[in-house]
Amino acid sequence: MAKVQTKNTKRIFNHDETISAYLFLLPALLFFVGFVIIPMILCLVTSFFDYTMTEFKFVGLKNYSEMFFKDKVFLKSLFNTFLIVVVSVPAVTIFSLWVSSAIYNLKGWICSFFRCIFYLPVVTGTVAVTVVWKWMFNQYTGLFNYVLKAGGVIDKNVSWLGNEKIAIWCIILILFTTSIGQPIVLYVSALGNVDASLIEASEVDGATKLQVFWKIKWPQIMPTTLYILVITTINSFQCYALVQLLTSGGPNNSTSTVMYYIYYEAFKLYRYGYGNAMGVILAIIIAVFSAIQFKVAGQSRD
Amino acid sequence: MRMKKFMGVFLALSMALSLGACGGSQGATKGESTTAKEGGAKATEIKLWTYPIGSWNEPEKVEEVIANFNAKYPDIHVSVEYLDYTSGDDQVTAAIEAGTTPDIIMEGPERLVSNWGAAGKMADLSDLWDEDTIKDIQDVSSKVVEACKSPEGVYYEYPLSMNAHCMAINYEVFEKAGALKYLDQNTRTWTTDNFVKALETLKKNGVETTGIVYCGGQGGDQGTRALAMNLYSAQFTNEDHTKWTMNSEEGIKGLELLVDLTKKGDLSYDAGIQAADELQLFANGTAAMTFCWNASNESNYAQQVNFTPYAMAFPSDDGKPELAGGIYGFGVFDNGNAEKIEASKQFIKFVCDDKEQGPKSVTATGFFPVRHSFGNVYAGTEEAERMATFNSFMQYLGDYYNVAPGWADQRTAWWNMLQQIFGGTDVKEAVNTYVDTCNAATEAAQK
Repeated sequence: MAKVQTKNTKRIFNHDETISAYLFLLPALLFFVGFVIIPMILCLVTSFFDYTMTEFKFVGLKNYSEMFFKDKVFLKSLFNTFLIVVVSVPAVTIFSLWVSSAIYNLKGWICSFFRCIFYLPVVTGTVAVTVVWKWMFNQYTGLFNYVLKAGGVIDKNVSWLGNEKIAIWCIILILFTTSIGQPIVLYVSALGNVDASLIEASEVDGATKLQVFWKIKWPQIMPTTLYILVITTINSFQCYALVQLLTSGGPNNSTSTVMYYIYYEAFKLYRYGYGNAMGVILAIIIAVFSAIQFKVAGQSRD
Repeated sequence: MRMKKFMGVFLALSMALSLGACGGSQGATKGESTTAKEGGAKATEIKLWTYPIGSWNEPEKVEEVIANFNAKYPDIHVSVEYLDYTSGDDQVTAAIEAGTTPDIIMEGPERLVSNWGAAGKMADLSDLWDEDTIKDIQDVSSKVVEACKSPEGVYYEYPLSMNAHCMAINYEVFEKAGALKYLDQNTRTWTTDNFVKALETLKKNGVETTGIVYCGGQGGDQGTRALAMNLYSAQFTNEDHTKWTMNSEEGIKGLELLVDLTKKGDLSYDAGIQAADELQLFANGTAAMTFCWNASNESNYAQQVNFTPYAMAFPSDDGKPELAGGIYGFGVFDNGNAEKIEASKQFIKFVCDDKEQGPKSVTATGFFPVRHSFGNVYAGTEEAERMATFNSFMQYLGDYYNVAPGWADQRTAWWNMLQQIFGGTDVKEAVNTYVDTCNAATEAAQK
């Protein structure tokens, strides 16, 4: 009898705790539903409409077919976005890992100093960072032209942001500098947590530095790598502010990204439905990429 | 344990409630406002959004206008938000879709009439346009009256001031290079041939950057449009603003000349900068001329320049330029509240028409009155001589084609087209594509 009563008490207690837990979750859930789930659903629904400042007409898949079969600027933007992802994600990951490996076992304050240096562009606002870069890239008064001219590398000023072939690389460079801060901090922390006894044991067994890295450290920092890959990929796919502030997608759409083009269609041409359709495609691409990364990195962790 | 459980539930509930309270704050404010009104205060709250037109982005100046207004109309409370040209349009677009537009907005007919007015977002201001007002404004320019109404004849803007956009040169640089002889300093005009010769002379005399055709975005695009259009007296649209015509022989010739000049190195182009950047380069002496000048810009950059910025009309083949005009005034968003619309109209009427406030409102824009009855609002002030120069450009005002339907699409297509032609695309091909884009947008807007 006493046993049954204890069981019932436990069940009631657990039930109450579950309610408490849900109540704790409620504020965050409300925010998540209100600001993420509902807008996502609205975005998906309106992507099937000719939705402008004056129209709201169902057009089925017309927006989707237009972007893939008629809109050359969208395809160019998609290409640019992939180029940014393909270049910046490996570059950010490899560079962060290299820097972190070099600094993680330095003296406390030296390591902190480097972490601060690399993290500065992250904590500085995007607008401030972009303005400084814009000054440096200026064709007439910029630092790059001044230094390169003084060094005899170039004899004529280069329009860094006004040249179709160069502008996208300038964007990638700035994105790189603003993206490495967080991965470096994460890698320093992850490398610091690698089991020292395993490293010592492998060294006693005659492992080379490269073997220690690949066989001991790399598997242990794989979860961090996976996280860095996913967030860097998402950030690169969503590259918008730099383009908006530096080039407005030009010259000749050579720096237009999907995120910028969504803004352009929605806010400059008032084609909200079409912009939303592009947003849906971008979300699908990011989801697929993230899933692939989880799969591949997850397998190598196993 | 019981206490822990209780605290857990209490904290979760309080968080949820505080969230609810946050979400409902707007409603609460509205409630208070209504109560105050029922209590006898009878105050109508209206919101004004202004773009940076002269001093209309300076809180002290705008608050002074509101204080003057409240001296006569104490029951209308005006709150202000200041927009900029970089993100202002986006803020308005977002507000339109969210249903949070202000009551009054200050800008020009290209936004108020052909954009938001055509989209049915603005209130009809026809009752403000009585016969005397129309005549008073027509005595200055009938184009202003036409620009403020839709093709259907509905007035969506009540104008305050106007100006003519021009260009400017660095007088000392021109003088030193011996290029002043190519200008007609009496009329401040020059021919296309003389413009080309002046560029050659500047270049031969070591001026590295003569002028920059900026095309990094739509900021200040009226300058590059006026430059390309005037070189061979092209027209941007047909008379009734229903077709775009820069693919005419004259238009193509003008654009080809600009491309040739940049290829020769006598002129620069830069797809990485917009008008604000170009103005900065002119102000710091890097560029010998700017294509984005007017009375207000001269005033804004007065402290920065250490040379004489000499305002000039755009060069034209016949020496008779057609300058792009700017009209600035107020529109009222139709938020469905008749009381607020009425209060907004009272505010506008006061700011634009009041015998004392009207001229002050005009001088705050840094431009010229659209009302003949105001006369010379700068007479007897320190600005008189400077403004007289800019006033002399008003005779060159060309067609106000900014009200053509599909204007927003045209603006984005223009600088993209410039980037293409300077990037090597055939001028004729690029201009035809640009005109097709604009015509398609105009047709779509007219449906």
